Amino acid sequence: MRGLGLALVLVAAFTIVLGIGGLPPRLDPEGPVHTHVGARYAERGLEETGLRNLVAAVLLVYRGFDTFLEVVVIFTALVAVLALPSGVIGGTSWREPDAETSEPDAETSESGDRRAAAVVDRPDTGVPVSNVVGFVVRLLAPFIAVFAAALLYRGHVTPGGGFQAAAIFGALFIALGLVLGRAKADRLVPRGVRPYLQAMGPLAFALVGLLGWRLTGAFLGYPSEASAYVLREAMVVAVEVGIAVGGAVILARLFQALEGR
Amino acid sequence: MSDPWSLLVPGLVVLPLAAATLVPIVAGRDPRRAGSFTFGVVLLVTAMAAALVWRVGEVGAISVPLGGWAAPYGIEFRFDRFSAWTLGLSALFAFIVPFAWRYLEGTLPRSRWHVFYALLLLNLGGLLGFSVTGDLFNLFVAMEVVSLSSYAMVAVAGRGVAAWAALKYLLMGSVSSLLVLFGVGLLFALTGSLNLIDVAARVAEAPASPATTLALASLMVAFMLKAALFPLHAWLPDAHAIAPSPVSAVLSGLVVKVGIVGLVRVLQLSAGSGTDLALVNQVMLVLGTAAIVMGAFMAVFQDDIKLMLAFSTLSNIGYIVLGLGLAAPFAVIGSVVHVLNHALIKVTLFLAAGSIIHQTGFRTLRDLRGVARVMPQTSAAMAIGALSIVGIPPTAGFICKWYIALGAFESGQGVYGFALVFGALFIFVYYVRMLNAFFFRPAVRAEVQAAREPAWSMRAPLFVLAALCLLLGIFGSIPLAFVEPAVVELLASMGR
Repeated sequence: MRGLGLALVLVAAFTIVLGIGGLPPRLDPEGPVHTHVGARYAERGLEETGLRNLVAAVLLVYRGFDTFLEVVVIFTALVAVLALPSGVIGGTSWREPDAETSEPDAETSESGDRRAAAVVDRPDTGVPVSNVVGFVVRLLAPFIAVFAAALLYRGHVTPGGGFQAAAIFGALFIALGLVLGRAKADRLVPRGVRPYLQAMGPLAFALVGLLGWRLTGAFLGYPSEASAYVLREAMVVAVEVGIAVGGAVILARLFQALEGR
Repeated sequence: MSDPWSLLVPGLVVLPLAAATLVPIVAGRDPRRAGSFTFGVVLLVTAMAAALVWRVGEVGAISVPLGGWAAPYGIEFRFDRFSAWTLGLSALFAFIVPFAWRYLEGTLPRSRWHVFYALLLLNLGGLLGFSVTGDLFNLFVAMEVVSLSSYAMVAVAGRGVAAWAALKYLLMGSVSSLLVLFGVGLLFALTGSLNLIDVAARVAEAPASPATTLALASLMVAFMLKAALFPLHAWLPDAHAIAPSPVSAVLSGLVVKVGIVGLVRVLQLSAGSGTDLALVNQVMLVLGTAAIVMGAFMAVFQDDIKLMLAFSTLSNIGYIVLGLGLAAPFAVIGSVVHVLNHALIKVTLFLAAGSIIHQTGFRTLRDLRGVARVMPQTSAAMAIGALSIVGIPPTAGFICKWYIALGAFESGQGVYGFALVFGALFIFVYYVRMLNAFFFRPAVRAEVQAAREPAWSMRAPLFVLAALCLLLGIFGSIPLAFVEPAVVELLASMGR
């Protein structure tokens, strides 16, 4: 059986190598990748979109709907992790505390209760955080936040943008959670607003898309007149903020799920 | 005022996805609200799809350039006659959601209901996006939304075995997704474009290259894996049987069709590529026939009713692929419509099976003997579904299989017509086994004798679905006539 698998892998690898050999030469300026759609983006992208960064122009304007679906994929990842029964990851119940008061159901088995209790009783972090680490993280936190915000705001001008800012914000939440302990970290993003924040990426896209339709007649269109500069900028920034905030909260919640919360 | 149709097509995709992000907020303190909210959204989506189908019938395919960027520079949504199945798709969700209201009680803790409904809406939005997009990369991302939510829905209600089934599903699904991404990447390197129509035209112009063949082959294998075509089916039975029944209905009826819709897209792409379509068709014929026979063969030995239904999906995917492989007008029309009709029948069967399991607590034929005496209405719906899937006239399953068989004889490949009839006989055997156990055997379990019909919110969707199984048989020529122009066009582009 193992021999058969190995043979299959070898045949597949051989086929792939053979096929890839038929691709146009890389870095050939006459290759189709550089002469068709890409060429038009490079030539007229900045002028047509009114943005100052080509990557942002493709990501948010030419192929904005791809980015919308990618943001939805990130949200789906969070829902998928929340869907996993306790014990599959993290090893503890993932129920929200307010659910504990609802009527008993199949899940409220004895072990479920014990686990939930264990979460509450357990000290904030298993291993005490070294003072040096704690101090450095707290010292750097505002700077990290400023850097993330700058990346976010400059995203449509220079490389960077919502996704990068989301990664840094998310990492900041996680680092602060490790240093300050769960209780304090939880207060950074109160439970009540989390459902709103985690939805911000797809929602920002949907609303901006709708506004674009109202203004230009095309969903996710951006007004192209020079006079609409401020409005266009505002729409792009709204999408970027949605991606950044939504992404950061989702990253933090994924980490909490891994911790078993 | 902007053209409303230009909003309706993207709106069809955006609405369920955006609504999914709102489900946890709407659920708030009362998780039941998530159910009604989801139902409302699904109804709205169904109405939008109905309007679009009507419009396509009037004026032909609607092409919407997103953001106003004409293809191939932007992403194009195309709502054509094939996309009309989105109406059936969203309508079936409109039956599954109210069924789930009561089904979830006792199946899933209330604190997780909003997760379930959010996943359903994400799945619906992904399926709709996959069906209407005219862009290869967009196709891939939409497929990821569908896949990710499907894996999670398998795992949502169980521990242990369900997690393993979901993991197996995830691994196979990821292989398939990577193959799609690989194929799309190769096609982009070859053509510099991602728009389906543009890529097809440029592939046809370009000199034949092994890279083109590799790209189309990896897309084809990937979609066969997504469709669980024999012998790439190993992930399907566990995942579909272990999931909660409304989820089984979604997965078995609708999500596997991603593979079929994808296959049709690849056929459109490869029509002019210099790839030997005769060989491709031959492969589809052989695999389709093998899937019919193997699916039926394995189903005969199952005792678990949901596993039986899962294996029957394998057979039906076989029918659809066989019809596509015949590449004769009748057969392809039959196949395309069977995508929808099988979805309807399989949803009916899984919801009926779900009701029976929910009310009795048993899931094997042995334990469920005599259940028709205490649950006559549900069992009747199940029987109608079973007759449909076997293909007894005048039901929804008959007309498609009849068309596929006609196509086989018409194109002089009658041997496949006989394979199809033989497969139907085999399938008949195991459904007779099931109906016999339900209707004519004395009950062996006290719990079964004490069972009752389920709540009305579960029974009503089931009745309407069963009625539709009959109606789509009687008025089956309407969808057949609707897709005919699109099929003729597809076959013409393939040189037939």
